[in-house]
Amino acid sequence: MGDLLASELFIILTVLISGAGIVVGVIVPAIGQMLVASRAMNAIARQPEASDAVNRALILSLAMLESLAIYILAVILILLFANPLREFIVNVGG
Amino acid sequence: MGIEEEFVPVILFQLGPLQVTSTVVNTWIIMAVVSAALIVLGKRLRVKPARWQNALEWVVEAIDGLIQDMIPEHPRLFLPVVGTLMVFITAANLGGLIPGLKSPTSDINTPLALALVVFFSVHYYGIHEKGLLGHLKHYVEPIFILLPIELASELARTFSLTFRLFGNILGEEIVIAVLFLILPYFVPVPMMLFSIFTSVIQAYVFGLLTVVYISGAVRAHE
Repeated sequence: MGDLLASELFIILTVLISGAGIVVGVIVPAIGQMLVASRAMNAIARQPEASDAVNRALILSLAMLESLAIYILAVILILLFANPLREFIVNVGG
Repeated sequence: MGIEEEFVPVILFQLGPLQVTSTVVNTWIIMAVVSAALIVLGKRLRVKPARWQNALEWVVEAIDGLIQDMIPEHPRLFLPVVGTLMVFITAANLGGLIPGLKSPTSDINTPLALALVVFFSVHYYGIHEKGLLGHLKHYVEPIFILLPIELASELARTFSLTFRLFGNILGEEIVIAVLFLILPYFVPVPMMLFSIFTSVIQAYVFGLLTVVYISGAVRAHE
């Protein structure tokens, strides 16, 4: 590994971490949404007349949890495509 | 690969000291089209509605009902702000599907500007309702030690509104662009259909969260 350029190491690490990051970053909010949705289904089945209120709270909660996955996606996209540190590494590391 | 231009806005021309980017021009185009369409339709309203008028009335009533559920006191006061945000964001998100246009919301500045509008209107309506002291008191209301957490959560709300809208729309655009490289004209189509759905949902969520934040500032704590 000693003869790797700093820029090559940078690219390898970026791709590896982006791949691992997006996988973890999708699983964790998915588990959160799974818990919320399953409990909402239980609540609607138990009390159909509360279904309007439960529906509204469900949509709001799912939107807030969805945004966590979107944060991860945005960071990964920026790391891969518009990384501001890339020029720095390429110029200094070689 | 040329995908960097997704992130860096292209400066088109100078208007005095300001630089006008392609995002601003796209915003102008969407504003012009939506405003012109709605003004022309607005002159043709009848008491006995035609089908399109029925559909538009359903949309306005849905937004009005949404506000009324959260803020029963004077819901019509907030209908212009929330309604305009939802309509503009829907039009801006969907505009990216038209060839030649790029969604203005896929540049981070537009969602940031919209989130700042929400931030300032929350404080404006809070002060309008309760006065300056009453509005500031509600941050120290339960326990005084919670004040830094409340301030941090104000900041977090603005950022989360921004990044939710920006990340969704930009993510869709990049996926469509990458699919376009695989097999143009055929492979992106399912993703474009899906992005119609998520564009409308994101606009709805933005409006819903605006109503929730405004109701937090305007309503008295139970």
